[in-house]
Amino acid sequence: MTSVACHLSSAGILFPLSGRAGMKSSMDRRAEFDASSGGSELAALLEAVARGDRGAFSDLYRRTSAKLYGICLRLLPSEAEAQEVLQEAYVLVWRKADRFDAGKASAITWLATIARNKAIDRLRRRTLSGERLEAAADVEDESPSAFEVLGDSEDSARLGHCLEALDERARAMIRSAFLDGATYSELATRENVPLGTMKSWIRRGLQRLRECLER
Amino acid sequence: MSEETDIPEEPGGLASEYALGVLGGDELRRARELERTDSAFRHEVARWRGRLAPMLDEVDAADPPPSAWNAIERRLGGAADGGNVVELRRRVTRWQGISAAVSALAACLAIFIVVRPLAPSPAPVAVERPAPAPPLLAMLGDEGKGTKVVASWDPDAQRLVLAVTGDMPSDSRHSHELWVIPADGKPRSLGTMGDSKMTHMQLADAIAQLLQQGATIAISVEPPGGSPTGAPTGPVVAAGALTKA
Repeated sequence: MTSVACHLSSAGILFPLSGRAGMKSSMDRRAEFDASSGGSELAALLEAVARGDRGAFSDLYRRTSAKLYGICLRLLPSEAEAQEVLQEAYVLVWRKADRFDAGKASAITWLATIARNKAIDRLRRRTLSGERLEAAADVEDESPSAFEVLGDSEDSARLGHCLEALDERARAMIRSAFLDGATYSELATRENVPLGTMKSWIRRGLQRLRECLER
Repeated sequence: MSEETDIPEEPGGLASEYALGVLGGDELRRARELERTDSAFRHEVARWRGRLAPMLDEVDAADPPPSAWNAIERRLGGAADGGNVVELRRRVTRWQGISAAVSALAACLAIFIVVRPLAPSPAPVAVERPAPAPPLLAMLGDEGKGTKVVASWDPDAQRLVLAVTGDMPSDSRHSHELWVIPADGKPRSLGTMGDSKMTHMQLADAIAQLLQQGATIAISVEPPGGSPTGAPTGPVVAAGALTKA
């Protein structure tokens, strides 16, 4: 059953709420993400969350937050921002759990992608607003489809194989873009090549990656 | 610029770059616009996210601090564990100052009245955004006994705010559970209310779509933590229909 405690927003009193989540040994975690175990359990939890089940949401957080927080920490420059984005990601999970479709993606892929998309949104908001304020103002600052992911990829071996098949430069740039959140212009500056060159490296790499994955 | 600049952009190229996250500036704006307006583009972005996602496997997990979960619970408007709520209720001194409740309600309404009309006027852009949905209000009462609870619903934020304005006696042996009864007449739980005079709830999409104009919001008395059956089991102590504010 769902339950909702309250806070007295105007009076500024916040109830000290349950603190039982978030504490978990790395042993538990390894067990949870081991092989295919738990995948269908996570999917069942997400389905319960979609029905508004707060207990299931708490369990889901307990079992997946270390994975998602790791992604936020990897992409964002500070722990404070990583925590904020983690919160945004789980609020989005709560709201959009009914959009999860076990036929389209595994639960952990769906969750991890949401965390990454929210982290990228955060990084880009920063650069867009730093760029030109008046232009940034008319750009919606986050991806409206951050929770959409399709085509499952439990099969990381396959992507690994196709990444290996790329030339080393393209592989390194694609990995850095995906895992560090680097943009074209940041990568071009870092590698000291013209922007157009960087774009062509990555575009070619992505084309070949797709061809290899669809083979 | 290098001559390599002119690699022809293959169809779906922008989607792959957007999913990878390398775009900035005008290209990012174009991708976001397509994401909003072009379902084929969204589909291709979702495909690419699926293709690239296995790279996330190699990111090391890290336990977030307990404060992160507490913050999420506050944003959703409550605790995940009914037992803890009951436990808390015994310990937390009840907040009874009626004048504080009135000022809380006033502050709540003032926010609605002041903030809504001052929302930034749409910037002159080509993309049409859906107009913000108007907030809805429900005055929950018991026949002839006046309003006990005012519920305000912000469809865009999917946030329901409840302010207790009348007599709602509670004790530790019962919970007040909140329900929405849409046109099909079947009550769906929105969760239980605590003892405080203001409650907010962040509702999930599947539930939020039921809070339409004309739907009834009702409060029933249930065992601690809420109805064990998923349907109301105790008496309804207050109810009212959602109407335009």
